[in-house]
Amino acid sequence: MITFAVFFFFAAIAVIFAATVVLHRNPVVGALSLVASFFALAVMYVLLEAPFLAALQVIVYAGAIMVLFLFVIMLLNLQHQEEPRTRPVQQFLGYTSSAAFGLALIYYLAKFGVTQLPDGPFVSDARTVGIRMFEAYIFPFEMVSILLLAAIVGALLLSARTGATGVAPLSAGTTTENLAAPHDAAPRIEVAP
Amino acid sequence: MIPTHWFLILSAILFTIGVCGVLTRKNGITIFMCIELMVNAVNLTFVAYARQFHQLHGLIFVFFVMAIAAAEAAVGLAIFISLFHHRHTIDVDEANLMRW
Amino acid sequence: MHGIDWVDVGLSVLKIAIVLGAMLNVTPIMVWVERRGSALIQDRPGPNRVGPFGLFQSFADAFKFILKEDMLPAKANKILYTIAPMFGLIPALTTIAVVPWGRPFTLPGGRLFEPIIANVNIGILLIFALASMGVYGIVMAGWASANKYSLFGGIRASAQMISYELSLTLAAVSVLLAAGSLSLTDVVWRQTGSFVLFNVIKLPAWNIFSPAMWMAFIVFFVSGFAETNRMPFDFAEADAELVAGYHTEYSSMKFALFFMSEYMAMATMSALVTTLFLGGWDIPWYTEPATWVGFALSVLSFVTKVSIILFIFVWVRWTIPRLKYDLLMKLGWKVFLPMAVVNIVIVALFIARGWL
Repeated sequence: MITFAVFFFFAAIAVIFAATVVLHRNPVVGALSLVASFFALAVMYVLLEAPFLAALQVIVYAGAIMVLFLFVIMLLNLQHQEEPRTRPVQQFLGYTSSAAFGLALIYYLAKFGVTQLPDGPFVSDARTVGIRMFEAYIFPFEMVSILLLAAIVGALLLSARTGATGVAPLSAGTTTENLAAPHDAAPRIEVAP
Repeated sequence: MIPTHWFLILSAILFTIGVCGVLTRKNGITIFMCIELMVNAVNLTFVAYARQFHQLHGLIFVFFVMAIAAAEAAVGLAIFISLFHHRHTIDVDEANLMRW
Repeated sequence: MHGIDWVDVGLSVLKIAIVLGAMLNVTPIMVWVERRGSALIQDRPGPNRVGPFGLFQSFADAFKFILKEDMLPAKANKILYTIAPMFGLIPALTTIAVVPWGRPFTLPGGRLFEPIIANVNIGILLIFALASMGVYGIVMAGWASANKYSLFGGIRASAQMISYELSLTLAAVSVLLAAGSLSLTDVVWRQTGSFVLFNVIKLPAWNIFSPAMWMAFIVFFVSGFAETNRMPFDFAEADAELVAGYHTEYSSMKFALFFMSEYMAMATMSALVTTLFLGGWDIPWYTEPATWVGFALSVLSFVTKVSIILFIFVWVRWTIPRLKYDLLMKLGWKVFLPMAVVNIVIVALFIARGWL
């Protein structure tokens, strides 16, 4: 019974914080809510007998990707930018269409989804997953590593401004003056020398 | 043991919330976060089916999805930094140079 | 569901009480060691009024923290400002749960007593997962304070943490590769015993002495300084540049929580370095008996090693000046990351040749 309680508690957390991402106007609060939602999803992976994947979910999503998001939001000092309101008709259409889509999805899942319980325990420790990955999936694995390399180069090229390469230094001497204080109006920061 | 379709329904709800965010928000980074949410909802489906059918393929796909999400986050955020440098905003409506 | 094994529950509670008590007492002791140690290095007396050798100074400080007014900046985000110190504390306290701190021994009832709170088979992954949450306390505090210096501390912390976490994880991968397991218990068991280097000297089989892994030790140890925001890398607070960085606006017990989490993170990092590279609870050149005597000796050995590492943390803080921020990034990405990757290849080569 306790697993059901855990499921509902963390499902509620995942849904509530995911909704906060959509509804809250402040991107920093949105990013932190998304972290909470991802953490709840990691608990779901534990319930699904994949603890290895749960740890990876927290390390990769909560520990790396979302920190990157927060870093960019704070670097661009976006929290004081007024996000323009979406037009009411657009907002209405967005909510109704996504609600209709969601209801249809849940209806068909409830109607045609798998309802019988899986038989027996599911072995998904690091060893079995690793062996399977490097036997059957070695080619996709290499392709993903090349994709990651391409992404690194692309990100570097896109974010580097003319003359500057790579990550601009964040030494306080050059940037504190330009970093907009919370009460300042100017949102612009110079990061490259 | 929790039935698989409960996880699927949770995943559907999360996916729908992500869709809603992409459709209604204008802040580029928030839209991006909603996309990450949708990707995670799909991951949950993969893992739920992996346990249902005792297949490791689903788990391995989640690895690949995570790697691709990381690549996507790096490139996407670099695009937003670049956009911010040129337009001083990351409102996606302002990025309309290629719009017909 | 069968009945609950109450002896098991009791033992678990006992282990948690021991570890939690030790972790909570690390802060006052380390504050004293740090202040007296810095005084020793800088040739001045240091705190010596409260109690013998100023030993009770930390408790006086704690009372002061409790009695101070709890300030809330006017523009701060109240919720995040309040929960940020707690978020700093959680990873520091939870990661220690999967570190083994003594040799297992058989209790009189025939039950095996394992001195580890949670012996999970993905131990090291759990540690990195929880440790990666540690940055959120700093980032939240830096952002919610609505202060430009705090915000800078938060930005710097987020960039620094994701850079050094990579080297830290990859350095640990070398050890896990050699041990063939993700569980820290297996890592320690593999380091018991000894080996003979070049037919000359008999060394304990600790990973630090292994020709394949001393490089990983350097990477892990230095990255550990960066992960815990300690002196050569304390850019999140950098008192010469950013007032006090992310905790500029904090006062009273909220500030004390940040203070505690810094020292607890140090203790956890020391325990990790000890477990991964210094043989954990192993006593060099000696085989512990599998009784309570061996258990007590091994716990003593573990505590001694952790204390030495903790003292090195203090020593380095008062000896080495802070780096420049671009140097920090260069060091992380251009020196430590390649070193860690090369080390993985070396270890794999050693395993393939059967030398490990």
